[in-house]
Amino acid sequence: MAKYTKMAYDSAEEMIFGTAKFPVKYGRDFEVGGGIVYPELVPHPRPGSEETKKSLMREYERMVNDALERAVNLGFPGIQIELEHVWQMTKNPDWGGDIAGQTRKQQEDFYQKYGLKSAIRATIADNRKPDEENIRDCKSLELALKTFESSAANGADNLSMESVGGKEISDYCIVRQDIRGVLFGIGVLGSRDMEFMWKKIVDIANKYGATPGGDTDCAQANVAMFMAGGMLDKSVPHTFAAVTRAIAAGRTLTAYEMGAKGPTKDCAYEDPIIKAITGIPISTEGKSCACAHADLQGNLIAAVCDLWSNEAVEYHDMFGGTTPAVFTEILGFDVALMNTAIALGKAKDLQEMFINSDLYRDPHSFVVAPHNAYQIGQALVANNTDYYNRARAAAVKSAQLILADGKMLLSNFEKEVLQKTLRELESFPDKESDFIDQCVNAYKKVIPGFNPANYGL
Amino acid sequence: MATVDLNSVFVRYDLKKEVIEKSVSTSKDVLLQAVITAVVDGDEDAIPGAVNAAFAAHDPMDIIKDGLVKGMAEVSRLWDEGVYFLPQTIISSDAMLAGIEICEEKMGKAMDKKGVVITHTAEGDIHDLGQKIVNALLRANGFEVVDLGKDVPVDDVISAVKKYKPVMVTGTALMTTTMTAFKKIASRLTHDHNELPFVCGGGAVSLEYVNSFDTGIWGKDAQQAPGMAEDAVSGKSWSQIREKYNG
Repeated sequence: MAKYTKMAYDSAEEMIFGTAKFPVKYGRDFEVGGGIVYPELVPHPRPGSEETKKSLMREYERMVNDALERAVNLGFPGIQIELEHVWQMTKNPDWGGDIAGQTRKQQEDFYQKYGLKSAIRATIADNRKPDEENIRDCKSLELALKTFESSAANGADNLSMESVGGKEISDYCIVRQDIRGVLFGIGVLGSRDMEFMWKKIVDIANKYGATPGGDTDCAQANVAMFMAGGMLDKSVPHTFAAVTRAIAAGRTLTAYEMGAKGPTKDCAYEDPIIKAITGIPISTEGKSCACAHADLQGNLIAAVCDLWSNEAVEYHDMFGGTTPAVFTEILGFDVALMNTAIALGKAKDLQEMFINSDLYRDPHSFVVAPHNAYQIGQALVANNTDYYNRARAAAVKSAQLILADGKMLLSNFEKEVLQKTLRELESFPDKESDFIDQCVNAYKKVIPGFNPANYGL
Repeated sequence: MATVDLNSVFVRYDLKKEVIEKSVSTSKDVLLQAVITAVVDGDEDAIPGAVNAAFAAHDPMDIIKDGLVKGMAEVSRLWDEGVYFLPQTIISSDAMLAGIEICEEKMGKAMDKKGVVITHTAEGDIHDLGQKIVNALLRANGFEVVDLGKDVPVDDVISAVKKYKPVMVTGTALMTTTMTAFKKIASRLTHDHNELPFVCGGGAVSLEYVNSFDTGIWGKDAQQAPGMAEDAVSGKSWSQIREKYNG
């Protein structure tokens, strides 16, 4: 496996929304990162519709149709639909496959009738339980791989996942503000599991001519970010969550080192760092994913996106139509503005507005701003000797950047947390094997079910 | 980046709201104060030394009551007032439970618990962090927790209720398509004439959904769980608890 040792871009200034160094073409005349931004709509079925395959397929048929119809009605050039699997779609590989096939037919129909460009991302659910089973040989893995196959065989263009390796450690450590465990769970174990999973996903994608898309640290860094929450929340310190995000970049990069081509997963807020390193097109979500969660980087996170997503919206009626139609409209006009800026030669101006809107709103938005993401990426590739050292370097750099910028205001508590986190990061051993030994010994004692063999240790 | 005035763009309310209050000393007894301090600081490493030293002048039950539990009460106050974040509370809870274990070993028996609470994460859902936080907070408040884990079938919850006779059951789910198991559990329990308070929360679980079935009480966040369990122990019915928290 070739590891990234240099940046795809010469500087952060070179990065812009709509264009990636390595665009991806698939679907129906759909190119991501080739000069414009497309919307990525993620519809979610209503509770109860998952009871039978028939009812779930009907739900998806309606949701996808509503989105495609709205896209045509409002004159949008193209759209990607994400089929983000509910548990039942992966547990029953034929369900996931048949829904992908149904969606492909709907998209082909709109392409033939109207010329609407389109593509399908299938995001297979990772139902493995790292603290309860052998995640390298279990029923959940077998079903997930079968569902990747059925989805690719039936027309999914992009295969993606939200894998959960290391979650048993990161869950325990995020709520204890234990940066060592977060670095171990995400940076080391998460990366090792990504290597295992993405070898298999890339093989399946190649077998069926699909594109291996990407992964997200949703199960870990997003847990920290969502728990950190808004300005009044007192769950996880925001500075701690921001450092966790930098660590996640090391873990998520593994998918692309294993052969994933992007576009990346929308909820991977580490993606600006990934784009800076790899040049792969990225999908991001911000203000227009308010249907799924609040977001402190609502505009900023669009700064270098190639797809623009709503994360997930449950199917319901609104005054303006059904939710997939409404959010297609919201996303479609968001990207219309970006594409207008590109066409008018004003893209850098709009990007500057996006960034300034949220740069100092929160430490999390600060670390994923392109100029900071770029520096974190540089630290990562300069230390890409092993998973541990690269994730640690990214974490240290993110903490240093936050502390060094006087405009990034922090409460006393947040500042103390960050300084403590940085001191701890700098105190860890230099050798990955020493760090792993230390962590295995420590966490086997306190986390029932933690099995190092799940990660080849 | 250009230098801009951002005052019209956003307001950092978190900076305006910061509470800088330190913990207060809560015991005149030096030995017990050391136990309290270890809990308040979340210093699990200091607990064995502090608790073992306190055995010289206090019996284990007093150390639990006037040291460990008192320290945790101070932690709860600091959290309620916005001084502590969740991690400080969790590591203090770890420290307190470690101290209780030492005391129980000394007593040769487990301390009496306020009641049993069964917790689980819905079938098909592996996102159990919320449940783990609930577990930690319930244990820190003196409840025995029967943790059924994640991806738990409805039948297993029903069997556990029959076996452990809890005062309350909790269910956690991230996805709307897995929370539908909660309604089935409530229905099975009420069919068996068991009207236990069933607290459901997490991710996309909504008040509207949980209040749509009998015995369901919506938990807005994990912090509410101990108070709800206290209400259940005191004899409040599910409808009274629902009225208090969801009304």
